[in-house]
Amino acid sequence: MAMERFKADVVIVGAGGAGLRAAIAVAEADPRLSVALVSKVYPMRSHTVAAEGGAAAVTQAHDSLEAHFHDTVAGGDWLCEQDVVDFFVEQAHRELVQMEHWGCPWSRMDDGHVNVRAFGGMKIERTWFAADKTGFHMLHTLFQTSIKYPSIRRFDEHFCVDLIIDDGQAQGVLAIDIASGRFTLIQAKAVIIATGGAGRVFRENTNGGIVTGDGMALAYRHGVPLRDMEFVQYHPTCMPGTGLLFTEACRGEGGFLLNKDGYRYLQDYGLGPAEPTLRNKAMELGPRDRLSQAYWHEKQKGRTIDGPHGPVVHLDLRHLGERKLRERLPQIYELAVEYLGVDPAKAPIPVLPAVHYTMGGIVADGRTASSMPGLYSVGECSSVGIHGANRLGSNSLTELLVFGKVAGQEAAARASAVAHGDDAALTALAERSREQALAVVEYGARGTERIATLRREMAQTMEEGCGIYRTGATMQATCDKLAELKQRYRKVHLDDGSRVWNTEWLLAIELGYLLDVAQAMAHSALQRRESRGSHQRLDGYEQRDDRNFLQHSLATHAGDDAPRISYGPVKITRSPPGTRAYGAAGEKAEAERHAQEDKHV
Amino acid sequence: MKPAVPDVPVESAARVEPAFSQRRPYTRPMGAWWRRDPFFMVYMWREVTAVGVAAYAVLLLAGLLCLMQGEAAWHAWVGWLRTPLSLLLHGVLLVAMGYHTLSWFDIMPKTMPMLFVGGKRVSGALITRLGLAAAVAASLVLCAIVLGVTR
Amino acid sequence: MSEKARTIELEVLRYRPEQDSEPLWQRYTVPFTEDMSVLQALQHIKDDIDGTLSFRWSCRMAICGSCGMMINGKPELSCQTFLRDLLPGPVRVEALAHFPIERDLVVSVDGFVKKLEGIQPYIVPKVPRTLEEGEYLQTPAQLAMYEPFSGCINCMLCYAACPQFGLNPDFTGPGVLALLHRYNADSRDGAREQRMATVNAEEGVWSCTAVGYCSEVCPKHVDPAHAVNQNKVNSAKDYFLRWLKPAAAAPSKAGDQP
Repeated sequence: MAMERFKADVVIVGAGGAGLRAAIAVAEADPRLSVALVSKVYPMRSHTVAAEGGAAAVTQAHDSLEAHFHDTVAGGDWLCEQDVVDFFVEQAHRELVQMEHWGCPWSRMDDGHVNVRAFGGMKIERTWFAADKTGFHMLHTLFQTSIKYPSIRRFDEHFCVDLIIDDGQAQGVLAIDIASGRFTLIQAKAVIIATGGAGRVFRENTNGGIVTGDGMALAYRHGVPLRDMEFVQYHPTCMPGTGLLFTEACRGEGGFLLNKDGYRYLQDYGLGPAEPTLRNKAMELGPRDRLSQAYWHEKQKGRTIDGPHGPVVHLDLRHLGERKLRERLPQIYELAVEYLGVDPAKAPIPVLPAVHYTMGGIVADGRTASSMPGLYSVGECSSVGIHGANRLGSNSLTELLVFGKVAGQEAAARASAVAHGDDAALTALAERSREQALAVVEYGARGTERIATLRREMAQTMEEGCGIYRTGATMQATCDKLAELKQRYRKVHLDDGSRVWNTEWLLAIELGYLLDVAQAMAHSALQRRESRGSHQRLDGYEQRDDRNFLQHSLATHAGDDAPRISYGPVKITRSPPGTRAYGAAGEKAEAERHAQEDKHV
Repeated sequence: MKPAVPDVPVESAARVEPAFSQRRPYTRPMGAWWRRDPFFMVYMWREVTAVGVAAYAVLLLAGLLCLMQGEAAWHAWVGWLRTPLSLLLHGVLLVAMGYHTLSWFDIMPKTMPMLFVGGKRVSGALITRLGLAAAVAASLVLCAIVLGVTR
Repeated sequence: MSEKARTIELEVLRYRPEQDSEPLWQRYTVPFTEDMSVLQALQHIKDDIDGTLSFRWSCRMAICGSCGMMINGKPELSCQTFLRDLLPGPVRVEALAHFPIERDLVVSVDGFVKKLEGIQPYIVPKVPRTLEEGEYLQTPAQLAMYEPFSGCINCMLCYAACPQFGLNPDFTGPGVLALLHRYNADSRDGAREQRMATVNAEEGVWSCTAVGYCSEVCPKHVDPAHAVNQNKVNSAKDYFLRWLKPAAAAPSKAGDQP
């Protein structure tokens, strides 16, 4: 038998913030349960590491769970599962304190308490932060803490190629040991997918090379629907060319966005008035989708600045002063200087929006369970219902912790209650998956399409059709193009026919995942005939349509055909859809809302 | 529900799977590693100056022994000290000691815990400069004393 | 170099264990633009010239620590090393020094990870506290005592810079010892005693001869040389205290230097 085999109680695919938190949760729920933690990279390379700004939780005395709830639901343009949001905001503080106990070096106030800062779309400061490297510190804290638990066994640099599904239940995974190119079957009684987002389907993105939608595609191919895939977040302040992120905290600390006339243009888009000090939920502290949309409009009006990588706007941090910049935003400082040759204390930084986050993902209920027994999902790959149509910054790092813990607890409970599947049946399934994965490398030499060519065409068409603003025509063109690319993918070419550290083979498999996820995104977008949150249309559907589309989209894999798009209800408990208003208009709407609520009390 | 696979069907079910891994990590020899990078060369010269320090200690010891053996031995010793060879040797050792001192104070801050004065971190460079200044001052004082005594 | 299509040459040390008996150099010509990094050059080679070139990378912004390699003989992160600073070329690219090469620019890092796992790299609370009691208080001054050492991205450039590690792969090494110190210096931690065994060992701080190149090459200004050499003093103190009181291991006092 040339395949390695391993039996665990719980297998977790992905060792970023969510996967590590889930692993720790299983270990703490029951140290006798064995956890297999599978990751295609060493855990500290997971893309959680690049998150900068912070993690939100109600902290200050004058803040409230209700406020965090409302900010999140409004930020999500009312497409959130409100009962899940309630649970999320309630658990947030406890999870961040747990991180602190595990050693996370949160930035502090002078009296030693954890400091909080303002963040886009949040009414009251509630974002915990660790300098401007919050994701880095959280990931390393979680990874190092996970070492405490002997029941967690890691499979580092093991690339998951399939889920093993038998009898309609998730029973394990098949992975390639990247170093040798050999296969490992990991049987388990519960499978948690924590593989992150799929931003790499787009051309300009903040994501690392590994963010290729692996787990989303695998669940999708096995019949689990992907929810709300049309909602892709553009982060408004990214580096031209590479797409690298300039954290929202730049704006949280008081940075301005200027057009070519040095004008703070956001005031023209319902986010004003422009004041010298930033007020929460106003101007540069508005939500990300609105800021990215404002850029697009400025571009149409010719008020952006031309740069070598396309039109940009200016992120002005000069008025913060060098000392504050170096103390609060040291990583941003280095990024600007090293990559762009710009000293932010002396010159504004050229920025533009790039794809940053995938709001949609594997359908998960409030306890991270999917429709398939034994399969759970958590983190960016999952749609648990808290981000809706647009995510607020600093909610997703907290999400990893709150739902990572839930996923671990649920998986532990299931693993304690069920038995392992039939070895022979699972082995046969694993053999079939192995054949398919091997076919990619063994027939690669005869292929005619270079991986990079297909990837670039996919990324280009996604940017054109599923960008910040969309029309039926451009989205249809993208759907057609993706269908063509999927056909051409059948003849993908590999230069590399080896087994030891054959990363071209893995890139080819990842391209397959990307194409599947891209199709789900494009078709979901085409069918949603309204504008909501980060899905904005210019072809007659410019308004939000709560009557027809206050619903989640569900994309179901249909083999070689286009995915089937259906719809499911949104759980509204106590916040009926209102207007998303920010700036002065927002404060007025907020006051009116409170007045209404007071009347009912 | 399968991923896209090539049109050409699987030729043989019996895929040749290697029985064991074909990994074969290659270890590069260290060899004359200090020549690989100027930083290492500078480090090696620093270490060599320690030999110079030891050599000077031996010289001082020799002088002390001669002193203990009486006037004749002492005068012979002083006579040797005045020879061109001795002067050359002392010149080289002085340079070595100087560089040794510089590099010693360079490293010194790394052996101390972080220092904060008034909430600001005291930089390693400042500690080095203070240390060097103290060394220079002490040397000058010592020179003055010795010259004063011998006059 | 014509203005029309500027190019630059890369010389990459290749190694494919299934076909090469030993590593060999291979030349590639890639297009040049002012803002290209070495990583982008390697990606161009893999995408459009030679798909068999294997290398690790991910974040592209010097925070994930994947892309460490030797560029013109110096340990660098390829995503943060720019072709414009290496003109006119050729640029020599080789796997990270002092580690066994698995394939092309990919080295074996299991040893490093095992060492990291072996130092108790987590908080063992000095004083217990429930979650309901909220966070431990830690002033900015206390945070400053360990924060630089917590910035290590595990890129292992310091190991490529350290000749002592190159000569003796059992040396715990700069990065892991810096992480050890990070925990010892954290006001919330109480496991300094347990970590002394690693510090005091021959492969601990005492294999270090203060070359100092590790701190030079560290892209995150962690200053591992400082962490290691500070602990030589601690190790010596610990040794003498144990010698004086062999019956009871010397307890670490709150006022001790971390």
